[in-house]
Amino acid sequence: MSSTHAATASSALPSDTSTAATATKALTVGLVGLAVTALGVAVMPDRHGPVMSYLVGITFCTSILIGMLMLILIHHIVDASWSVVIRRQFEHALTSFKWLFLLFLPLLALAWVKPGFVWPWMDLTHELHGHGTVGTDILYQKKSGFLNLHMFTGMTLAFFASWVWLSARLRKASFTQDSDGDIKWTFMNRKTAAIGLPIGALTLSFAAIYWVKSLEYHWFSTMYGVWFFANCIRGALAIGVIIMIWLWNRGDYKGVLNTNHFYSIGMLAFAFTVFWAYITFSQYFLIWNANVPEETFWYNLREVNHDGSTNQWWYVGLVLLFGHFFIPFLYLLSYKHKVVHSKIKPIMWWILAVILVDMCYNILPALKDGHGDSLPFLSLNLLWVLTSVVGIGGVCVWSYLKSFPTAKLIPIRDPRITESLTHHE
Amino acid sequence: MAAPSYGLIATFDTTPDLYHAAAKVRDAGYRNWDCITPFPVHGLDKAMGLPRSIVPRISLVGGIIGFCTGMSMIWWTGAVDYQLIVGGKPLFSPMFAFPVSYELTILFTAFATIGGMLFLNGLPMHYHPVLKYEHIRRGMDDQFFIVIETRDPRFNLANTKALLEKAGGKNISELEA
Repeated sequence: MSSTHAATASSALPSDTSTAATATKALTVGLVGLAVTALGVAVMPDRHGPVMSYLVGITFCTSILIGMLMLILIHHIVDASWSVVIRRQFEHALTSFKWLFLLFLPLLALAWVKPGFVWPWMDLTHELHGHGTVGTDILYQKKSGFLNLHMFTGMTLAFFASWVWLSARLRKASFTQDSDGDIKWTFMNRKTAAIGLPIGALTLSFAAIYWVKSLEYHWFSTMYGVWFFANCIRGALAIGVIIMIWLWNRGDYKGVLNTNHFYSIGMLAFAFTVFWAYITFSQYFLIWNANVPEETFWYNLREVNHDGSTNQWWYVGLVLLFGHFFIPFLYLLSYKHKVVHSKIKPIMWWILAVILVDMCYNILPALKDGHGDSLPFLSLNLLWVLTSVVGIGGVCVWSYLKSFPTAKLIPIRDPRITESLTHHE
Repeated sequence: MAAPSYGLIATFDTTPDLYHAAAKVRDAGYRNWDCITPFPVHGLDKAMGLPRSIVPRISLVGGIIGFCTGMSMIWWTGAVDYQLIVGGKPLFSPMFAFPVSYELTILFTAFATIGGMLFLNGLPMHYHPVLKYEHIRRGMDDQFFIVIETRDPRFNLANTKALLEKAGGKNISELEA
C-alpha cells in the first residue's frame, strides 16, 4: 500500500513551470525589497535605523534556516520516521545559506569600513554614555579577546562555512539516495548529524552573541544562545507547516500527508512555544531576582527612559509575553487547531510575525537618542525591517523554489518512508 | 439460564474482519458496545465511531487549578499570613511565584490526566462479565471480539444477533451478567 503511495508521489515530480514562474516572482520581490532598503540607507539622514533594521531582517531569516538545519540534524540523530516526508522541503530551503552569507557581507564590510557603526565595541574611541570610551572600559578590555573585529569576521565566516557545509552534505546524501537507494547515505546523514549538532549548537549560539547580544556588550546572559535556538526552531516549524499546506493545496502532498503529520508538527510547535517561554522567562527572572546593574540595564532600556517614564518597548515586551507565549500556547492546546489546515495556518503566520517582533525587541533598542534612551519601536524603522525581511526572505524563497524541481517531492527510498507515509498517533 | 444477559459476544479471526464489522455495528447506531483485541488496532476508534477522549479537558482544568494554587499559596503565605521582605523584593510578585505555579501546573495536570483517565475508564474494575466467557483468553492472543451490551437502546436479541452474523462474527453467544 505504501509503495503505491510512493509511486504516486514520485510520478508527481514537481517539474512544472509554475514553480519557476513563482521563483522569478519571489526573486523580483526580493530584489525590490533589498533595493528599497538600500535606498533607505542612502536617503535617510540617520543611517543607523535602516542598517539595524537590515540586521533584524537577516537575523530573522537566518534563524529560520538554522532552525531547519537543526531539525534535519535532530531528525537523523534520533532516526525519526514521521518527519521523512517533510524533511525534503527543509533540505531544499537549506540552499539559501549561501545567499544569506552574500547578504550578510555588506554588514561585514561595514564593520571594517566604519567600525562601531553597528556594533559599538568595534570602535575603541566610541563614547560611552557618561563614562569614557570603549577602549578605556574595563568591561570591554576584559572581553576584548573575544570581542574584536578579527574574531568577529573569522567567526562569522566560520558560521556560514559550517552551515553551508552541513547543508551540502545533508542534501547530497538525501538526494543521491533517491536514485540509488543505497543505505550508506542514511548512515552518512547520521554521521553528519552527530558532528553537525554540536557544531550547529555552538555556531548558532555564537552567532546570536556576536550579531545581536554584543550590541550591548556590557550585558551578561547565559540564556542567550538558547533563546535564539528556541526562535530558530519555532520559525522553522512555522515555515514547515506553511509549506505543507501550500503543497497540499497545490495537490503535491495529497495522499502523502495525513492528519497525524500535522498533529505531530503542531505538537512540536506547541512544545517549542513552551520552551521559548521557559527560556525567555528564566532569563528575565534571574536578572530580575539578582538585580545586578550590569544585567538589569538591558531590560531597563526596554522598559523606561532616563526620566523614569515608560517607553514603547515596555509594551512590546508585553506583546511578546502574550503574543509569543500565551496566544500560541492556548491556541495550540486544542487538537483541532493543530490538524485542521485553516486553523493551524494562521497561528503559524502569527508565530513568524512575533518572532520578528522578538528580533526587533532584541536589536532595535540599541538605537539610542542623546539621553541614552532607546528610540521608540513605532518608527520608520519598522518599514525598513519589513523591506529587509521581504528582500532577504524573497531571495530565500527563490532559492528554495529553484531547488524544488531538482529532486523528488519526498525521499522515496529513505528506509523510513513507509513508516512516514503511514504515520499514526 | 434465568440470570439476566449482559450482551452478545462475537468472534473474529483477523483484524480487517473486526475492523469492517465494527464499522457495521457503528453504522447500525449502537452505543454500548466494545471491541476486544490482543493489541492496539490503528484506526479502530474511527471504525467504532468513537469521538476523541475528553481527558485533555480534565487535564486543562487540573492545570488551571494547579497554576492558581501556586499563585495564591505564595501570595497568601508571603503577602498576607507572614509578611517578610526578602532580598528587597515586593511581598508578592508573579515573577517569583511563577516557578512554583508552573511546577504545580504540571503536577496537577498529571494528576488530573491520570485520575480523569481512570474515572472515564471506570477503573479499577474488579469484575467484568466478559471474563466469564470461556474463550476470552484468545482475546489476549490471536482472536478478536465484539461485545454488544443488552443495555444499549437498540439491543434486540434477534436483530443484534443477525447484525453480528451479517458482519461476519462467529460463535455468537450470550454473556452472563
